[in-house]
Amino acid sequence: MAYVEFKAIAKSFGNFVAVADLDLEIEQGEFFSLLGPSGCGKSTTLRMLAGFVKPTKGHINVHGRDVTALPPEARDIGIVFQNYAIFPHMTVFDNIAFGLVERKLSRPEIKKKVDAALAEVGMTGFEDRYERELSGGQKQRVALARVLVIEPEILLLDEPLSALDKKMREEMKFWIKNIQKSVGITTIYVTHDQSEALTMSDRIAVMDQGRVLQVGSPVEIYEQPASRFIAEFIGESNLLKCQVTTLDGSACSVNLGDVSIPGRLSSNASVEPGQDVALLVRPEMIRLRPIEANEPPKLQGTVSETIYQGSVVRYRIHAAGQEIMVEVANRPDLPRLNTGDNVATYWSAESGVVIP
Amino acid sequence: MERAIPIPMLILAILGFCYLLFPILVVVLAGLTTGEFLTFPPKGLSLRWVISFLQSEKYLSAFFFSFKLALMTMVVSTILGTAAAVFLARSRFVGRSALRAFFLSPVVLPGVVVGFALYAFFITSGLGISRTIWGLWVGHILYSTPYVIGTVGASLATFDVSLEEAARSLGASPLRAFRKITFPNIAQGIQAGSIFAFIVSFGQFEVSLFLSAPNSEPLPIAMYNSLRYKFEPDAAAAGIFAITLVIASVLLTNRLVNIRRLLERQDG
Repeated sequence: MAYVEFKAIAKSFGNFVAVADLDLEIEQGEFFSLLGPSGCGKSTTLRMLAGFVKPTKGHINVHGRDVTALPPEARDIGIVFQNYAIFPHMTVFDNIAFGLVERKLSRPEIKKKVDAALAEVGMTGFEDRYERELSGGQKQRVALARVLVIEPEILLLDEPLSALDKKMREEMKFWIKNIQKSVGITTIYVTHDQSEALTMSDRIAVMDQGRVLQVGSPVEIYEQPASRFIAEFIGESNLLKCQVTTLDGSACSVNLGDVSIPGRLSSNASVEPGQDVALLVRPEMIRLRPIEANEPPKLQGTVSETIYQGSVVRYRIHAAGQEIMVEVANRPDLPRLNTGDNVATYWSAESGVVIP
Repeated sequence: MERAIPIPMLILAILGFCYLLFPILVVVLAGLTTGEFLTFPPKGLSLRWVISFLQSEKYLSAFFFSFKLALMTMVVSTILGTAAAVFLARSRFVGRSALRAFFLSPVVLPGVVVGFALYAFFITSGLGISRTIWGLWVGHILYSTPYVIGTVGASLATFDVSLEEAARSLGASPLRAFRKITFPNIAQGIQAGSIFAFIVSFGQFEVSLFLSAPNSEPLPIAMYNSLRYKFEPDAAAAGIFAITLVIASVLLTNRLVNIRRLLERQDG
């Protein structure tokens, strides 16, 4: 039995369906992300688990216990909000002590635990500060300490990095992941940022319009997206219009212009020969080099635009009536191309994913 | 930047302040006259009428009656208004926004209407509180509470609900989360609302006109009644004390709230 189970959960606000018929299972100790565009129902899902929103129907189980009807204070779930929600009228110490005071611990015990929590998040010495005296990253650390100090069963993170600047975000991404690993706490992370989800998660659920579209590891989500929406939402993608010609298990080949190209079928997808499908090829999977005999997928085209980005160079290739974006590492051993050059593109058969 | 305000606007602002403060000047100077009658500008300056006010049984009792009534009104209005504001901010029901708009604009209930309605109701229902301090109390609460709803509602609008949610998920019951998190953060709005309630009640005229009894009348009614028959400057002297009381109450509440906050920080 999974540690957290959403069973046929639905939530509507008036006529608006925020979450429709959601089933999810999250394992103990897992870092699980709910990823989707704004309004996809990921935050509502999180708030139902926290107890702030009552589901219209369905059940939520935590550790085998049905928590659907429990108020937030009886759930033993910690949450870090997007804006951190540091109590502005209390010091850092009192913020972190809040949950312990509610649990009626003795003063020395509280002091000991708060000190340990401060040390864990690297905020020792900030006990007497107020919220207005903290930077974004420091608020984040305090918010996390305040939750971890009560040792909840589950940690919920609601877009915790979106209020930080880019550099701080990169830093906190790894910091949060490390803390989560060392504490070993089951964590559910809500984000609209695919790179955060890919970097930090053990598994990701991609959501859109109140539904879960796909659940899988970052590798599965990125390399075998179940739909065009997921392929476009996660990372950059070329979705080339083509037709299925032959099919053999998950291996199949498609017609792209007048070239036959092998690919593999995306997980759980089913197609028929002759069907119009999309072939997903990530820009970084494509190479622009002289073709060798044993690397069959190739497409002739012309460079219509070159974009220099420092560490990589991007080429827009016009081929078979479609635009293909190619990303090439900026290395001296790789050829530099100019607009108007004729090129051959090729990629390995596993890199071409057929999506219905 | 040396000066951010354009000169024409500055002149208008100064004129506006003069206009707004002029009545205070009139009352204070008229109350300090040496003459027999209420005049402006005053004929010389003395404390003659101030002393007369302090020795006047009628004005002193009216002053303390108004003070007591305003305190009683303030307590009930603050509690009722705060509860109503929290309810309006947090619950969802049909007609909520209409109700909120109604309460956030206190002018929709003219004092004449409140006074007359209550007068008619008290007389015909035989409740026995017409022309007593209790009837006045009911009227003043009715008139002052929307001011509290307005100020507390405004501070709740800027209060971040996730603070309360954070407290809940850290183990606080709804009541404790309100007391320990929401209340300290909207305390300024409550404080402002209670000062409003006090001042509005202390200066209330129309409601009191319908509901007060001849021998126990609030200060504004006493001043009005007195000026109807004689034009003596002790009414203006009473005005001086009314203004002083209002200013003092504002300063005092500010002081008290700061002290409370100081204590809270130390024991927390």
